[in-house]
Amino acid sequence: MELSDQVYRVARRLVSSREEAEDLVQETYARAFRSWRSYTPGTNLRAWLFRILTNLNIDRGRREQRAPATQPLEEGDYFLYNRLEAESGADDEERIVERLSQDGIVEALSAVPHDFRDVIVLVDIGDFTYQDAAQILDIPIGTVMSRLHRGRRILKQQLAEAAVGEEA
Amino acid sequence: MLNPCEKCEEVLQPFLDRELSDAEHAEAEAHLDECSYCRKRYRFEERLRMYVRHAFAEEMSPDLKAKLSALRTPLV
Repeated sequence: MELSDQVYRVARRLVSSREEAEDLVQETYARAFRSWRSYTPGTNLRAWLFRILTNLNIDRGRREQRAPATQPLEEGDYFLYNRLEAESGADDEERIVERLSQDGIVEALSAVPHDFRDVIVLVDIGDFTYQDAAQILDIPIGTVMSRLHRGRRILKQQLAEAAVGEEA
Repeated sequence: MLNPCEKCEEVLQPFLDRELSDAEHAEAEAHLDECSYCRKRYRFEERLRMYVRHAFAEEMSPDLKAKLSALRTPLV
């Protein structure tokens, strides 16, 4: 995949509309041009570019949601499977995963607070290592891991709630 | 003290992210070999991650692509 496609894909998940994502990508490239001299040849170009992208996104005040400091997440990592299995009566992972729609996943991710979503987007969609994500977001690697873990839990909680909603 | 399935659930994320030590990874694998309950849930999680990637595979508009191509840069 071309680098610009990756940039767009990540941008599209950081903001809420296609128009905003297009603006953000163009700004990112404009800023990258202007600050080209600050890039050190031989270092990670992708990480450098994505850092510009995430910083611009923060600068433009698009982070309207604040991460909840202590949102209770009692349940473990199996709970979404358990919930879907109990509802569908199916007993294999193929049938159970089919109960999740693409639209539902997009919607669930948009409900994850920014701080957590940024990490999921970079690692799961942008294919960055924990180390790169830490560098891009300028946070310690331990924070990347805890946000990733918590963000995925929140995502699954959203999916579980959506699945229950459909049944009702 | 956690039972083996609870322990396996605890390491699901770092296991799939390949962040466990060799010893921890081997221990989880040994449990998965003999426990279909955990195995199903691990496979589900892997598929869920694939779904997440797939759900976000949205292409940029041809218009924006053309603008970026016009930049003729190594960044595109």
